[in-house]
Amino acid sequence: MPREDRKWTLLELAEEAGVGARTVRFYISRGLLPGPASAGRGALYAEEHLERLRRIRSMQQRGMMLSEIALDLHGASDVRVAAPSSWWQYAVSPDVQVWVRADVSPWRLKQVRKSLAQMSAQLQASQKDEETDARR
Amino acid sequence: MPAGSAAIAFRPVAAETGEELRLAMQSLFLAGRILPVGARLTVRHVFQSEEKKPLEVIYSFALPRDAALRRFQVSGPGFSVRSELKPVAEAVKAYEAGLEKGNLATLARQYGDGIVNLTLGNLRPGEAVTVTLQLLAGVEMRDDGLRFRFPFTLAPSYHARAKSAWMPDGMGEMELPEDEFGDVILPRFAQDASGLHQVGFDLSIWMPEQIQELSSPSHPVRILREDGHHGRVCLAAERDVPDRDLVLDVRANAGFSGALAGLGSDGKGYFAATVASTQFGALPQNPRRMALVLDRSGSMSGLPIGQARKAMEACLAALAESDWFGIVAFDNHVERFQDKLLPATQDNRDRAREFLSGISARGGTELAGAVLAAAEMLGSEGGDILVVTDGQVFGTEKILAQVRSTAVRINCLGIGSASQDRFLALLARETGGVSRFVTPRERVDIPAVDLFASIGRPVATEIAAQVDGFATYALAPDAPSAVFAGSPLVLFGETGAGGEGRLLLNWRTPDGTREMAVPLAISRNSLGETLRLIRGARLLTDLESRLDKIETPGAAGKREENRVGDRLEALSQALGLASRRMALVAVLERAGDQPGEIPQTRIVPVGMPQDVAMGAYFLGRTRAMTFAGMAVGAPTAAMAGMPPAEAAASGMFAGATSLFSRITAKRPAGADYRERAMPPAAPTGPEDLLLDLAGRIQSDGGMPGHKEDERTLATLVALLCFTAEGHTASSGAFRSHVGRLIAFLDPRASDPLVREALARIRKGGSLPGDWAEVAEPLRIGKSLDTGRARQALSQALA
Repeated sequence: MPREDRKWTLLELAEEAGVGARTVRFYISRGLLPGPASAGRGALYAEEHLERLRRIRSMQQRGMMLSEIALDLHGASDVRVAAPSSWWQYAVSPDVQVWVRADVSPWRLKQVRKSLAQMSAQLQASQKDEETDARR
Repeated sequence: MPAGSAAIAFRPVAAETGEELRLAMQSLFLAGRILPVGARLTVRHVFQSEEKKPLEVIYSFALPRDAALRRFQVSGPGFSVRSELKPVAEAVKAYEAGLEKGNLATLARQYGDGIVNLTLGNLRPGEAVTVTLQLLAGVEMRDDGLRFRFPFTLAPSYHARAKSAWMPDGMGEMELPEDEFGDVILPRFAQDASGLHQVGFDLSIWMPEQIQELSSPSHPVRILREDGHHGRVCLAAERDVPDRDLVLDVRANAGFSGALAGLGSDGKGYFAATVASTQFGALPQNPRRMALVLDRSGSMSGLPIGQARKAMEACLAALAESDWFGIVAFDNHVERFQDKLLPATQDNRDRAREFLSGISARGGTELAGAVLAAAEMLGSEGGDILVVTDGQVFGTEKILAQVRSTAVRINCLGIGSASQDRFLALLARETGGVSRFVTPRERVDIPAVDLFASIGRPVATEIAAQVDGFATYALAPDAPSAVFAGSPLVLFGETGAGGEGRLLLNWRTPDGTREMAVPLAISRNSLGETLRLIRGARLLTDLESRLDKIETPGAAGKREENRVGDRLEALSQALGLASRRMALVAVLERAGDQPGEIPQTRIVPVGMPQDVAMGAYFLGRTRAMTFAGMAVGAPTAAMAGMPPAEAAASGMFAGATSLFSRITAKRPAGADYRERAMPPAAPTGPEDLLLDLAGRIQSDGGMPGHKEDERTLATLVALLCFTAEGHTASSGAFRSHVGRLIAFLDPRASDPLVREALARIRKGGSLPGDWAEVAEPLRIGKSLDTGRARQALSQALA
């Protein structure tokens, strides 16, 4: 049978995707995953369900929350991003400042902080090099 | 709740949206019996669906200390079924098979950190189902009674890889990494718990000694004293909400020393022997090496951090000049007062107070790093660590594995309205220390001083025990390595059959070896089976804490984990109690069950712990939160009440405050998200005077003054303030301070006033007089009126 024609029960789908059946139902309830094509006994799931489950797990591994995953899965056209109420100001170096929305999600803030810390370190190192060269 | 809406006055309504909430779980009621060594409890959960489709309801809760689930019963109109204990994989399979057939299926599965998911599948529209769960729990034992704690909410906690967000409907969501926590589902956290399920309790208490006092610092209670040994405590209010732990205190007239014993259902004898710490010997006065560890994480913001600072300052005041100390403060990062221990001179203590005054709450809770830093500070000479924390951290088994390797004794003072009592109790016990827990609305300084007076100076070490008079016996868990003042020794054991015999104890004190015999009388009674189960829960908790081994990574670590897991499964089966390897499951076939229908999942929300700011864990909106029409999202109209990111400035995820500074923040009108963190009015009373005086004791043990005579009189007046409140050198929270004041005065007993006053105090008395008034200048840092003091002393001694 071609892969795209393959059908699974909920338990089989969960096993194939490496998640619990309860997790699959949870995703369906949250709108992350479509329900089976037909309800009742013998409800089956198709390749698109498996693909979606794999995509969700991949996004989770990238640090996204389920609420954020739902947003991405439903397409950016539906997104209305609210105006920020506050900003973090980051002094990367005496001559460089970066502003970051204060209401970004924690995982995003971690990424931003990591990048800015690297940037700060690089700028400080290059400044020291310049000072050393100037002394010579 | 909308004003003037009388018709829905008692319907739960979402504060943010004004929409009516449909609760899948209506109420939770705790009942059971509390004994001096543990509790046997039942928790009744009432689920009801008002929705049009079948539901799968997931309720997450935290186990109390030393707890294990025994069984549950599911009942509804015309049906009732009892759970079975099965290995987790089999239990999940049975649950899923039942769900597939359209049956009512229920699964209670335990995860790391003592988190349990109670999942009820196929709850039909309009159906009401009750799940009555039986469990065993430990208590915090003290010489003169106990403190019982039961979590009515599951506190969000810190984990470096946790993801969380504050949703537009006012709820917080948190997700834990699957590779460490499996498929656990945490509850949604409501800032305002008033619309959530109701909680209530009705507990009976039995103590072998006369009960002196029953009280609760957490809930309004109605107390019924049935006789001297029995009491009953119920919720006094009509209803309450799940936003804090239930805390009950039981005080007895005297410390209990003896054994509770009886035959279990398996015909074996079971006992729990308790020996008050006062039976072991006097408190040694050896110099101490102490590292104080202060949790400054975001979850401590508000009342708890202020309380923790006060606790630490009170502890500093109890140090003698011969003691050595260090301080570590931690959030995501570890900050040391000094790199090494310092002698507790006046100058060092003053500088330490200054260091503490600059500590504010922020960032995460990297507890293991802080404990390792403190252990490094203590070095090869060793010593004791005192951790002051709310313990709100996930992944506790890994922390335990890390700190076990330090071989340093860790003592814990937990502060929190819904904290990880279970974790901190394990942390202290596994390292041979002592733990105490207080709620943020209680005085924390007095328990801190009390705990600090005991730690570092065990009244007994090298404790050995054996049973005489029974052909076969087993003592488990192992006896603790030391006993500390205020906390009794408790030993659990079993015998092959009933009968009479003795538990023989011997131990070492600074004066030599001592021994004691505790009579054991084991017969058929109502205690035996309860003791079997309480002991079993304790054994399982100890073993579970060793399930996550990180010190042996790779294949060897996996083998070790499997070995512990197999032992856990076997023990769980033998005891008939659930654990991380054995779950409880029940499947009930009802008439008209429809196979194959996918139930809608509903996560039961709980309240944010009282006194913890939402922003401590949940940062502002994510992009997802503005998504319209999403299952978990809300209409953008709900955005009006969004919390400002300002909250994050004091929160866990503001660990970047060293990098970031917030420059603009507009706070929405009427959104006081911190109102629950407002401190109560400062307490005043005799204990405040004592704390102030304790804080002014100099490193040589005397009170400050310009001349020797003034110092002597000031010290005597301060001492009389302590003794007037019942504190002596061997009892009371300020026993350590009293001992130091007396030690300062002893060489100055050539003064007749001092000599005679000390003689009276040593006989266990005080001197009549208003010493608080005489000591008032000392309290505020002024000089003592020596003339007045001499006159008052002369009158008192006349």
